[in-house]
Amino acid sequence: MEEKRSNSAGGVGGMVLFGLIGFVGALVVGWVIFPKLLYSEKTQPIRFSHTVHAQLGIDCEQCHHLGPDGRFAGLPTTESCAECHGEETGDNSPNGKEIDKFVKDYAKTGAQVPWLVYQYQPDNVFFSHAAHKGFECSKCHPDVAKADTPPTYYQNRISGYSKDTMKMWECERCHASMGTSNACYVCHK
Amino acid sequence: MGLDRRAFLGLVAGGAVGTMFTPIPWKLLDDVSIWTQNWSWIPRVPKGQVDFVATTSKLCPAGEGLKIMRVAGNPISAAGNPDHPLSRGGVSALARSEVYMLYSPARVKSPLKKSGKGFEPITWEQALIEMADKLGAAKGAVACVSGDGTGTVNEVLSAFVGKLGSAGCFMMPSEATTAAKGVKLMGGAGQAGYDFENADTVLVLGADIFETWGTSTRNRKAFGASRPVGEKPKSTYVYVGPTKNNTASVCDQWIPASAADLGVVALGIAWHLLKAGATSNAPGFDTFKAVVNGGFGPEDVKRATGIAPEVLAGLAKTLAAAKAPLVVTGSPFGQGLGAAPFIAGMALNILLGRINKPGGVYALPELATVVPGALTRAAMLDGDLPAFLKGVAEGKTPAPKALLVYDANPAYGLPEAATMAKALEKIPYKVSFASFMDETAALCDLILPNSLTLERYDDLATPYGSGFCLYSLAVPYQKPVHDTRTAGDVLLTLARKMSVELKFDNFLQVLKEKVATLAKASGGFVAKDVMPWQVAAGKPAPALAGGDLWKALSAGYAWTMVGQVQSNLGFAPEVLAKAVKAGKAPEKTAVLAPYAQLRTGTPTTGIPCQDLTTVPDTELLKETTLVRLNSATAKALGLKKGATVTLSGAGATCEAQVHLFESVMTGVVSAPLGFGHTAFDIYSKGKGANYLSLMAVVEEPGTGLSTWAAAEVKIA
Repeated sequence: MEEKRSNSAGGVGGMVLFGLIGFVGALVVGWVIFPKLLYSEKTQPIRFSHTVHAQLGIDCEQCHHLGPDGRFAGLPTTESCAECHGEETGDNSPNGKEIDKFVKDYAKTGAQVPWLVYQYQPDNVFFSHAAHKGFECSKCHPDVAKADTPPTYYQNRISGYSKDTMKMWECERCHASMGTSNACYVCHK
Repeated sequence: MGLDRRAFLGLVAGGAVGTMFTPIPWKLLDDVSIWTQNWSWIPRVPKGQVDFVATTSKLCPAGEGLKIMRVAGNPISAAGNPDHPLSRGGVSALARSEVYMLYSPARVKSPLKKSGKGFEPITWEQALIEMADKLGAAKGAVACVSGDGTGTVNEVLSAFVGKLGSAGCFMMPSEATTAAKGVKLMGGAGQAGYDFENADTVLVLGADIFETWGTSTRNRKAFGASRPVGEKPKSTYVYVGPTKNNTASVCDQWIPASAADLGVVALGIAWHLLKAGATSNAPGFDTFKAVVNGGFGPEDVKRATGIAPEVLAGLAKTLAAAKAPLVVTGSPFGQGLGAAPFIAGMALNILLGRINKPGGVYALPELATVVPGALTRAAMLDGDLPAFLKGVAEGKTPAPKALLVYDANPAYGLPEAATMAKALEKIPYKVSFASFMDETAALCDLILPNSLTLERYDDLATPYGSGFCLYSLAVPYQKPVHDTRTAGDVLLTLARKMSVELKFDNFLQVLKEKVATLAKASGGFVAKDVMPWQVAAGKPAPALAGGDLWKALSAGYAWTMVGQVQSNLGFAPEVLAKAVKAGKAPEKTAVLAPYAQLRTGTPTTGIPCQDLTTVPDTELLKETTLVRLNSATAKALGLKKGATVTLSGAGATCEAQVHLFESVMTGVVSAPLGFGHTAFDIYSKGKGANYLSLMAVVEEPGTGLSTWAAAEVKIA
């Protein structure tokens, strides 16, 4: 009878202890391991250095300009990159090799660089950059002006979207704080 | 302390609680819900640089200038070009389909050769060798039909056929063929051009000017500009015709009249104008006056048409009081009207002093041809295709040994379909330059697929109805989706192979020569800041910088010219006396009044797939088309709403369902055209009936022109 009570007391303590272990373990899995499993890591096809270009005095708008209807902030085409990088440099430095890779694989073939865009919205979202041009770019986008190597692109293995794609609640929160309408048709045409 | 049962339960419980404080369940739920929306078969919106380029619609007869939206260089959608005088930002349902029709399932994807009951794909080289061989054997008896009323490709086609020995070059019948015949009989020259922009009162006799007649998109824009929202209208539009169609429904007044009586109505109005003292120096005035006074008094017109005398008197008064009245005559469905009603309508313009005046009718000169041996547009319009094919079917006219069909579908788009099919069967070798597998292409021995507008260089010269001379370019913005070529290039290659000299090696050279010719023409200018109707109204025409003309045209601007040929247009009273009779209205069973709409395409396009969704259930219900009758007609015929009926005429029968619609005049059955295809794709094939097949072709007295504007049909 006594043994049974003792077992019972030890069992409760053990249960609490293992409960704590389970709790902490779940937190570790959920916050540390799960994100690593959920996202695949991708790198840009060309290691484009924003720093080098910014140091040359090239304005952001020279490559990232609004389309006529304000929908697309614009990635430069292979043709526009090739205006400066039309020929291989033969330079063996890391940057030189990257330029030559661009020239060989894209400028010479005419293919467009499949840049990974960190924040493409789903097709059912109409987003106008023109309507948001009062904000700093870095309010929504990663600030890459000082990045010599583009940030890693994390792709959600289930949804297929980038980790940085802005969620609807984020759009709504900002709209609400700015007093802008959150009606469905504002973003979903 | 081992992992006993309780400890294990504790671990699981702790883990479960802990998991609730992590993103795992919430993020997974969210991602899975997003995943369920992203099926692989859902089309993706293309990403890339958005830009806009300009071209001209060749699918739509209204000839709009287009702005094509591209993403990463790929055409995505077509809209009206605000800088183009025939568009001003407007676009028809058909012109809007220019991009998605590139991917139509009905497209002919490579050259095809007849093989048994079907076709087998062959190479372009094989096709050209066979064609050179067959056409070489058919020399002296080669005919051609074109459905492109505005392209310079007609010059290449007619010159080629002419040098092989022509058995006839024809245009598909349209408003332009009727008008050309009418102008010729009136002793005039040039193409009738209607200045809607400067007109303040427009009397429309039959013509569906906002849908299928001439430059319909431009007509709508001119109408809209004269009737600004919230302001007093600056124009008056009156429609006379058998149904309250898309044009009549926005006009100030609709006067019901059968298409067969349009000439009578025009001469009835002339009677009132003459009584009020109207006079003219134009040839034939005295005889015209005698003809009108002799048989088109108010009571004569009332007996023939049912229109009350005071209605026509009021109309005549409105026209006479207007500063810039304009009378436009045409067929309610874009074809088949006789030349006499056109002449009667034009006689009103002469009486009102509206020839070659702002807001009136201009006799527009034809642009010079550049291909040696080519027929002029006027010469091509002079041919009467239904009469020719009827003659072939009946054995009265020798069948040509070979027929070249360009952008035309005579097996579907002509009246008396059975007769026309019989004629086509008698022609031993037929070739179609078709973009889509239409009914005529399906009958041909060889199909040479023509690239579509966005895949080829092409042009558009002064479409019928335009109030000014106009030239506009179509520029390719993408490689052909399939193994197709520009028909002009194919014809020139074939000519070279057959040692037929046509001066040019490719079609682009032809177009460049055409533009170079325009650059030398005096009075022409590029419509940018100044539009041609402003020049017609007195604004000085800007100078033309000749060297930049190709560049300006490639950028979507149009070359225009305001002017007229010397034309001594007369009344042609002897024609009117023979062809227009205000007799007693016959006791007809029912008169068929077809109507056409651009959303159901043209005979060469079929129904554009996306436009099919805009066809209402009152027009096409499942696979049956509906005909419209008013309740009085239905009662007289013993028909009820929704009844299935058989219409018969010209030796053919068509099924239909009855739709009661009070905007149709009594005694008339209004039927939609554009349905009843037996070729094309699932969006066109087997949808309803082709009521054009019920229309019998008759020869118009006094003009000899084939007409089929109003035909009696039996309903059972």
